[in-house]
Amino acid sequence: MVGPGRQERSWIRGARAGSVSDLEALFREHWPRAHRAAYLVVQDAAAAEDIAQEAFLSALHNLDRFDRRRPFGPWLHRIVVNRAIDWSRARALRRELAEAPGSEDFDTGDLGMFSEGVAAGLAALPPDQRAVIVLRYLLEYTPGEIADLLDLPRGTVNSRLRRGLDRLEAIVDREQR
Amino acid sequence: MSDDVKRSLQKIQAPDEIEAQRRAWALVRASFDAREPVSWQKRNRRPLLAVALAVLVLVAAFLSPPGRALVGSVRDVVTPDKHTPKPKPALTALPAGGSLLVNSGKGPWIVHPDGSKRLLGPYWEGAWSPNAEHVAVTRAHRLAALTPDGTIKWTLDRSNVLHGSRWSLEPPAECCRISYLNGGQLRVVAGDGTGDAPLRSAVGAAPPAWRPAVTRQLAFSTIDGRIELVDVDTTKTIWRTDPGDPPTDLVWSGDGQRLLALGERSLRVFDANGNKLWAIGMPTGPSGVVFVRKSHRFILIRYSPATQRSDLVLFQAETTPGEPRFLYSAPGDFGTLAISQNGEWLLVGWINANQWLFLRLTSAKVMAVSNISEQFGAPPNAASEKAFPSSVSWCCPASP
Repeated sequence: MVGPGRQERSWIRGARAGSVSDLEALFREHWPRAHRAAYLVVQDAAAAEDIAQEAFLSALHNLDRFDRRRPFGPWLHRIVVNRAIDWSRARALRRELAEAPGSEDFDTGDLGMFSEGVAAGLAALPPDQRAVIVLRYLLEYTPGEIADLLDLPRGTVNSRLRRGLDRLEAIVDREQR
Repeated sequence: MSDDVKRSLQKIQAPDEIEAQRRAWALVRASFDAREPVSWQKRNRRPLLAVALAVLVLVAAFLSPPGRALVGSVRDVVTPDKHTPKPKPALTALPAGGSLLVNSGKGPWIVHPDGSKRLLGPYWEGAWSPNAEHVAVTRAHRLAALTPDGTIKWTLDRSNVLHGSRWSLEPPAECCRISYLNGGQLRVVAGDGTGDAPLRSAVGAAPPAWRPAVTRQLAFSTIDGRIELVDVDTTKTIWRTDPGDPPTDLVWSGDGQRLLALGERSLRVFDANGNKLWAIGMPTGPSGVVFVRKSHRFILIRYSPATQRSDLVLFQAETTPGEPRFLYSAPGDFGTLAISQNGEWLLVGWINANQWLFLRLTSAKVMAVSNISEQFGAPPNAASEKAFPSSVSWCCPASP
């Protein structure tokens, strides 16, 4: 992971000192991707909003302990994605217990056939595979960085990526036929 | 394939992204406003202290069995899921003595220091008088005053459903009055059941709260979420706040200098003159709050819908909330809080586990008692949230 830019270090320093404008800049820079990552993993709009909000609040409460030499994004994304995985597992368990119907569909809007296939395919993956796909292809972390974020061996990350992509490809092919 | 996946993922939007961002920023901003910046010295001192403390604890742990026990107890507080204390099947004693008044679906109960219980009758809710000599109870259109053995001293009936009765906190020689809500009307009656009269109409649903340490002043909420302090003798308004999230509960500090208004999605903190010190938004409003005895610090329940956990968080009711301190956390809902009269023990109602937790605030000790719903009259296998006692107060309320 590369270090933070000068701008981001300045925002963090300002936010620590009480500057609302610096906090807002930090928030606007990082919220959209954190929120979208949570949504893609949990596939539930309300839960994604809660998870991203709480990750920001958690980061905010710990801002004074944050090492400014490190980038803010991975720190935030680690919280978001781990909470999203936990939430998805808990929901799956509740569904098993309640014998409730399957997962909700993504609100895909008008994305085109391939993207709709990806959305449907992502929904069919287990949360662990969904999380590594989102970290790799939405947030653009390398497999090594994902291993650090999720506290996993790099080989596990690679195999989850491979299996996830294979399943996505199969589902997209089926949807496009 | 991977480039196509990347492009596709970047196209997918969460529903209502812009509004979600607006809501999140409001929450983050409110939390930031409530935060106290930490000085450089303090920021950099903490890691060194933490390292030094960790080394000391580890040395103690390896050197002696008591040291190992200390490590265990610290870990219990930090990660309660992994080491929730084994609960006792029944309440056999209160750790700090005193008595509890417990409101359950069956009615209000008195719990004595040895754990024995008495159901006061089929009332909907009850409230202690100062020093626990009487209990005011309501059911439908009736308000009654009882002694703790259930003897009825007097009753009165009104046209609407009555709720939210509270005894005033004067010294025994002047004692007491009872405020209560008759539908949306606030009324006050003397402790002997005489002189019942209306005080305000169109008030909010939060039970009015008598101000400790200052006689005859009563705080209540209006339907637009204002908080008003009224002198009950003259009926004059002492102060009134701006509108806000309509409160579900009003809680004074023991010295009557701070007032908390708990809402559905917020907490507001006021000083003795009705000035708002700070406020904080929450995903869901706190279901319980107690002041630490002889202090402006308070503990509140914060539930996180995302993680479905409840936290006990310590704030201060000063011009800033201070850095929040997390005291305890567990999966599910905490439904009620009560603090012992000596201020050392906190009772936490853990709804999903059907347990009461007794947390010693001066150490890491936690005790748990299970089967709470059943012990307060709920049938076995009743739905947890409805069967679990809705509130508890630990004898006695703060007195002047």
